[in-house]
Amino acid sequence: MPEARRPRPVLGAVAAFAVLTLGASACAGSGPSGPDIDLGAGPGQVGTVKSGALKGLNMTFVSYGGIYQKGQQDAATDRFAAESGANVVQDGPTDYAKLKAQVESNNVSWDVVDTGSVWADAQCDKLLQPLDYSIIDKSKIPNGLATKCSVPAMQYGYVLAYNKTKFGGNPPTGWKDFFDTAKFPGKRAINGDPTNPEPGPYEAALLADGVAPDKLYPLDTARAERVLSAARPALVFWKTGAESQQLLESGEVDMAMLWSGRAYGAIKNGAPYEVQWNQFFPVMDSLTVPKGVKSPKAAMALINYYLGAAQQAKLTELTTYSPVNTDAKPQLDELTSSFITTTKARQEQAVPVDATWWAANQDALLTHWSAWLGS
Amino acid sequence: MAVLDELTSAGGAGRGGAVAVAEPGTAADRRRTRPGLLVAPALILLLAFFVYPVLTMVWRSLTDPTPGLGNFVWFFTEPANLRVLARTFTTSLWVTVIALLLSYPYAYAMTAVGRRGKAVLTLLVLVPFWTSLMVRTFAWQVLLQDTGVVNRVLGSVGLGPLALIRTETGVIIGMTQVLMPFLVLPLYAVMSGIDLRLVRAARSLGARPLIAFTRVYLPLSMPGVVAGTLMVFILSLGFYITPALLGSPTDALISQQIFTQVSGLLRWGRGGAMGVVLLVATLVLVGLVALALRRTTPGQRAGGAP
Repeated sequence: MPEARRPRPVLGAVAAFAVLTLGASACAGSGPSGPDIDLGAGPGQVGTVKSGALKGLNMTFVSYGGIYQKGQQDAATDRFAAESGANVVQDGPTDYAKLKAQVESNNVSWDVVDTGSVWADAQCDKLLQPLDYSIIDKSKIPNGLATKCSVPAMQYGYVLAYNKTKFGGNPPTGWKDFFDTAKFPGKRAINGDPTNPEPGPYEAALLADGVAPDKLYPLDTARAERVLSAARPALVFWKTGAESQQLLESGEVDMAMLWSGRAYGAIKNGAPYEVQWNQFFPVMDSLTVPKGVKSPKAAMALINYYLGAAQQAKLTELTTYSPVNTDAKPQLDELTSSFITTTKARQEQAVPVDATWWAANQDALLTHWSAWLGS
Repeated sequence: MAVLDELTSAGGAGRGGAVAVAEPGTAADRRRTRPGLLVAPALILLLAFFVYPVLTMVWRSLTDPTPGLGNFVWFFTEPANLRVLARTFTTSLWVTVIALLLSYPYAYAMTAVGRRGKAVLTLLVLVPFWTSLMVRTFAWQVLLQDTGVVNRVLGSVGLGPLALIRTETGVIIGMTQVLMPFLVLPLYAVMSGIDLRLVRAARSLGARPLIAFTRVYLPLSMPGVVAGTLMVFILSLGFYITPALLGSPTDALISQQIFTQVSGLLRWGRGGAMGVVLLVATLVLVGLVALALRRTTPGQRAGGAP
């Protein structure tokens, strides 16, 4: 055997590998900084962008895929691309680890990212940059929903759905009944994704235990977990939105705590369920801009366009999620309009959640939640 | 005696064949001049997509967020982590044992049936093997749910409904089906090379069927058993999608906990530490198996040689 020759190819391989990685990092480091962008004089007007202002610029819009992202594309980003001249491509699903990797390696290819609202607040000034409200016109965003680093992407509800053939005569009236397995026997589905403790299960458990809606925060997690643990034999955990919908459509659970869009999907497909809107939690997705994007101005312009009344109306018509522009007037059928969470009647039934408190305590809550789920 | 003659001549022919393959002559010499170059593409691939990421993971586990052993201390002082690690190994063991019990007779059947039967059996293994993991897992979700086909059949004969989905049982069923090809195929490869006349010889020399199987056939099929079970066991240890979709959070395996750390909490150091622990535990286990095999193999050789 030609022993002496063996090391050489190894060296060659190492060298080639070094070249590969160096090449990759060189590409990453020396991206061209965004061109000087002229978005026109004066502050931004919601839903508009200066025609041709971003000609030839490549941008990436990231969201959660499915009918939702398709709706965002048709209602907002495609039209934004057509008017501004930018080339907007879709990517997804949103993955916080990927976003972190991009920011840390200073090679950010995601310009505008649809994220959970608690996460957006928690990562403000860390992985996400403050939004520029001289470009984004927030005057039509419902009160308090625009924050330093995020605007709402849409709104929906975290709701209680129940089987109307089983409980039709005597439906559950709120979260107290949801956790009362003696009065309402049967299985109930709740979120069991250990990576994603959203506002919802803890709040519902505390409301069921008699805590007043305005005294929920700071959350007494130990107390909430006692309620959850007591109901645990009847609980079925879903890990994805699709699974929660599937649980209703297959009739496996008699009640479920799930996202309103998924309840809508199941009911539309003929599942015999109804939503008890009393005590529902209004929740939302957020639009964010990672730190280190090549052209922050263009990202802000896209968000400003996305928030327009016409765009939001279209988005609602396409996805059934509620608009985040107070002027939006979507044309909807009866079932869909009953799922709009932003109407006055719905807002009166809502129990508001404190996203800021969640953001400040996210780490502890995540650890708690995944520990309880795994116990 | 006739059988024995046949055996020795078959063995001889086999050996002759092997020798011929090993000495193809000058063409091979030419090829041998630069054997390293042939390895280079694979080596580069391994360095870039395996060694480098693994080293990054190890580095992260020791430096993120602060340098030191903090992530490992966290792993070993949190009882939940040790529970998950133990559960990962027991689940993988169950999957491996059940998959072996099902695959062994199946692979044997593949060698024993006629040509058409073999084609059908092979297809039955390969079609799921080529089908997307997601599709198969979702199929199991539909089959195993409380109102699913399995429970409806069980219900019609007065059993059940059994809790299959979102239980450890469901995870084991799903993983076993998904991983079975990794056992069937190596088993079949080895079994189809076993000379069945050896078993007949044992029988003709007075061995009862069970003895002929355990003393002759089983040892000869062991390479397939070892290769297949190791592959299935190691793949099970890192399985993510199937346990995530078929199990409940209560039955989470370590890959899901790693995902929680990496993607949910963005604590890459902890995720890395969990990966390192899993890697080391796996290597130790594989090392022990290899050691045990080395100890038993010489004996088998002495007994099994024709």
